[in-house]
Amino acid sequence: MIKPEQPNITLGFIPLTDSAPLIIAKELGFFEQWGLNVTLQKQNSWATLRDKLHAGVLDAAQMLAPMPIASALGLGAPPANVITPLVLSLNGNAITLSEGLLQEILKENEINSVTLPMAAYLLQKVVEKRKRKGEAKLKFATVFPYSCHYYQLRDWLKAVKVDFDDVEMLVVPPVSMVECLKNGDIDGFCVGGPWNAKAVRAGIGMTALTSFDIWQDSPEKVLGLLEEFHKKHPNTVLALCAALKQACAWLESVPNRFEAARLLCNEEYLHAELDVIAPSLLGSCLTHQSLPPRSIPSYNQFSVSNNGCINQPELVRGEWLIKHMVSAGQIPPHVTIPLDLIAKVFRPDIYQQMRLLIEDQGVQFYRRSG
Amino acid sequence: MISTAKKNTHLASHEQLNILLIDENVQRAESIVTALGNSRYKVSHLACTQAGLLKQVDEIQPDIIVIDIESPNRDMLESLHTISHYNPKPVVMFSSQQDTETINLSVQSGVSAYVVGDIDPERVKPILDAAVARFKAFHKLKDELNDTKHQLESRKSIDLAKRLLMKTNKMSEEQAFHSMRKTAMDTGQKLEDVAKTIVSMLRSLEQGHEHD
Repeated sequence: MIKPEQPNITLGFIPLTDSAPLIIAKELGFFEQWGLNVTLQKQNSWATLRDKLHAGVLDAAQMLAPMPIASALGLGAPPANVITPLVLSLNGNAITLSEGLLQEILKENEINSVTLPMAAYLLQKVVEKRKRKGEAKLKFATVFPYSCHYYQLRDWLKAVKVDFDDVEMLVVPPVSMVECLKNGDIDGFCVGGPWNAKAVRAGIGMTALTSFDIWQDSPEKVLGLLEEFHKKHPNTVLALCAALKQACAWLESVPNRFEAARLLCNEEYLHAELDVIAPSLLGSCLTHQSLPPRSIPSYNQFSVSNNGCINQPELVRGEWLIKHMVSAGQIPPHVTIPLDLIAKVFRPDIYQQMRLLIEDQGVQFYRRSG
Repeated sequence: MISTAKKNTHLASHEQLNILLIDENVQRAESIVTALGNSRYKVSHLACTQAGLLKQVDEIQPDIIVIDIESPNRDMLESLHTISHYNPKPVVMFSSQQDTETINLSVQSGVSAYVVGDIDPERVKPILDAAVARFKAFHKLKDELNDTKHQLESRKSIDLAKRLLMKTNKMSEEQAFHSMRKTAMDTGQKLEDVAKTIVSMLRSLEQGHEHD
């Protein structure tokens, strides 16, 4: 067994369904098994989480997949060498539209119901009508400028040539999404669980499609930490990755996911009801109060046993994210992208070291513990 | 996208400054407003916000934003810098947690200043003064750096285009430069853009020849 140089770790997370691996690793004692004493610190805002990680107040954190790249490029904050040795989850986002917008869509398209997953062209008539009548543009919210949510919403609209300038995009933290939708501050949002389900349960929105309907199996959340921290504490990082990988594997079985949902409800974690958290963990997407849920087996993926490398930060995935940042116009002209950027940020080498370590230890996966 | 009047970011030292204070703790906010009563700072307080924040920023056009770092609204400020083409603002953050000292030490940018410890009404004014000063210094540096970088880049492409023209069209250096300048003037383009077009055109021609 390796000995972590620094056993006491502060790990930041945002209350979301896909923070499950962090919470499971803590609750089921996987961190302890690897000699770590981890404190989970709930954060309200992605920007604050990022600043704290840069400053070393957090040793590591759950991050949006494009965030370490944005950090390396100094977008939105001074540059910092953030690396990611582990992908924590895939998929898991969804686009929810307000009840008001849904009614407008039905009326403008002269239809009685919307087929799910909803095609963005149904929005086109609403966008055009609002433009013609000089009404306010539709407002959509995502959770952070450098997020898959933002690129997914963009891709969804772009696919049917809804002009991006004809809608407004806002950043709203996940915890405030449902309230904003309810107040009519926004007409729709793209966010991870449990917030889509929460809006549906509250009867204020319809989940039109999940991120899986837009892109399949792209990294959503990753583990982020400073390169400097890894240089000083390589064993701590391996132990952290191993414990989280173990939690991801544990989350593969359905009974375990039920148990995870129960743990996530806790006040110190998501502080939400079981009927809001459980569905998306079990591959079920709540759509509307009057409609049956959709079955999306890949909703919130943490690990797949027949494809063991979804937790590996693959360079091609990173390059792909950079392309989206460029295409969204997020890289200012004075910022140049170094050719080896992704190889510095995404670190499959650390992931492979951790895999070897786990094999050496003969760690049993998929077993129910605790 | 927020519609915003482009405002000068260089804040003069005597004019009145609008502050947007975002704090859910009303009591704390009131004490800050009182402490700044007779200064050049004019405070608008926002207790509970959600999407309203962006509207407020648009209306108030604050010169400084003061926010509790634990506030979820911190993310919305992020969109001011990125999604919209809003002028950056000095953002002063405070937190009652001890660990902000580390943040204070390590955030080098003048855009965000983290304040150590809970915000103390007595200390608010000097903190704001310092934030404004740092913000100005940071932006001056950043503007200069960007200008220099840009000049360097544009000179590089002009030189390269000139060299390519000299080689392929057997021009003298002076002829090459004049021909580029004439094209720029005739077509109403920047010299730099003409140079870039020439480079990409000549390069694609060269590649075409290689395949022949």
